[in-house]
Amino acid sequence: MKPERDYGLVDILDRLLNKGVILNADLIITVAGVPLIGLSLKAALASIETMLDYGMLEAWDRETRNWYKNQLMERRPSLAEDEVILYKTFGYIWYNEGLISSWRPGFWYVTNERIFLWRREPDEDLFETYLDRIASVKTGTEIEFGKDREELNLEVDGWIARIRSSDVLAFEDAIRKALFNPRYQTEPEL
Amino acid sequence: MNEAVKEGRYIYSVVSSAVESELGDVGIEESRVYLVPSGEIAAVVHSCVAEPYVTKDEEKAKEWVLEHSYVIDLATDRFGTVIPFSFDVIFIGDDDSVRFWLEENYDLLKEELEKVRGRSEYTVQIFCDEDLIKEKIVTCDPELLKLRDDIEKMPKGTAYIYQKKLGLKVKEELIKEMTRLAGEFGVYIEELVDEIKIEKKVSWVPDKYKGMMMIAAFSCLVSDGNVDALGNLLDGIDKREGFSVRFSGPWAPFSFVQLKGT
Repeated sequence: MKPERDYGLVDILDRLLNKGVILNADLIITVAGVPLIGLSLKAALASIETMLDYGMLEAWDRETRNWYKNQLMERRPSLAEDEVILYKTFGYIWYNEGLISSWRPGFWYVTNERIFLWRREPDEDLFETYLDRIASVKTGTEIEFGKDREELNLEVDGWIARIRSSDVLAFEDAIRKALFNPRYQTEPEL
Repeated sequence: MNEAVKEGRYIYSVVSSAVESELGDVGIEESRVYLVPSGEIAAVVHSCVAEPYVTKDEEKAKEWVLEHSYVIDLATDRFGTVIPFSFDVIFIGDDDSVRFWLEENYDLLKEELEKVRGRSEYTVQIFCDEDLIKEKIVTCDPELLKLRDDIEKMPKGTAYIYQKKLGLKVKEELIKEMTRLAGEFGVYIEELVDEIKIEKKVSWVPDKYKGMMMIAAFSCLVSDGNVDALGNLLDGIDKREGFSVRFSGPWAPFSFVQLKGT
C-alpha cells in the first residue's frame, strides 16, 4: 500500500498549530497560538472519538512496547516448582521512597502462591507478596490530571500497595480467585 | 509617545543550505520568502512587523496556515527534509537576530537536520469494524455463544439484563483484544521506522473511516528506503478481515523535532 497524500485541512492545522518547533526565548514573540487565531479553528481540532475514549493504548508507552517485545521473545520470570501462573497483565506500582516517587512499570503475575510485579530488564521483582499475607483487596479511583484513574489497592502487612493496570477489575477478580484457591485455606477441609 | 513599530522575521523552517537564496512571494499574504544562512544551515523566513498574525476571520486563518504549510513543502522539495516550525513563530529583530539565533543553536539544529535527513513523517492509523470483531468474539467463545442462545429463550425483562451483561463482556473482550493487537502492530511497525509516536488525539479522519473504531494511531519517522516495506506491512494488516489502515504522508517531521534549550 502506498502512502496517500489525502490530507484534510484539519490534518494540516493539527500539525501546524499543535506540532512543529515552538521557540521560547526573549528574542521571539513565540505564540504558536491556537487561541490567537480564533476559537473556531480550535473547535475544528476537537478530537473525534478516539481510542482514548476506550481507554486504549494509554499505557502504550516505551515500557509497554518493550513488554510486547519481550512477550514475543517468551521471556519469563522464575517461578517455584509447582507455582502456576493464573493471571498476568502489564501494569504499574506506585513507588514512593524519600524523594523518589513514580509509577514503576512491569508485568504483574498472579500465581497460586504469589502476586508479583516483574521487570525484565534488569530482571527484578519490583514487588512481591505471598497470597496469605494479603489482608484486603480494593479498587479505588484517583484523580490525576483531572481524569479519574482506577487503581487497585492491596493491603499487605499494614501497608497499601497502589497498583495500576489496563483492566483493574479483571486483575482484582484474578486475585480474589487466587485467594479462594483451596490450597490456601490454612485448615484443609476434611 | 507611540512605541516604534518593531521589525520581525516570521520563521517557517530551518533547512540545510549554506547560501542566500529566495523562494519567491509564496509566504503568508504573499510575503517574499528567503533564506538567512549561517554556516551550513539556513532559516526560511519572511520579513514582517514583530507582531503575531491574529484574526477572527476563520477563512483568513486557514489561508495563513495553508500558506505556511506550502512554504514548508516548497523548502522540502528544494533543500531536503526541513525542521518545520509551528504557525506564528516570529523573531523580534532583523536578519541579524535570526543569524544570531542560528549561531547560538547551531549544533543542535545541525544535529536535528542530520537526524531527519532522508526521512519523512508518515501517519499510520488502524481501524477496526467493531461489530464484525464483536461477532467474532462471541462466535469463538462457547460460553458467550451459549449465553446469547439462552437469552433468546428468556422472558423479556431477564433477557434485557443478560443482554446488557453480554454486551459489557463482549466490549471488555473487544478492548482487551484490540489493545493487544495495537501493541503487536506497533512492535512490527517499530521495526521498520526510525522513530514512532503514539497519537493520543486524532482530530480528523476521512469519511471512509468514520464509524469504524480507531485502535491505534502512530506518527512515524521513516527512511525513504523503508517506506515500501512499511507499506507492505500495513497492507497485511489492511487485508485482515475487519481491519482497515490509513497510511498518509510524507509530511515534514512535525512530530519529531525537538529543540529544547532554545
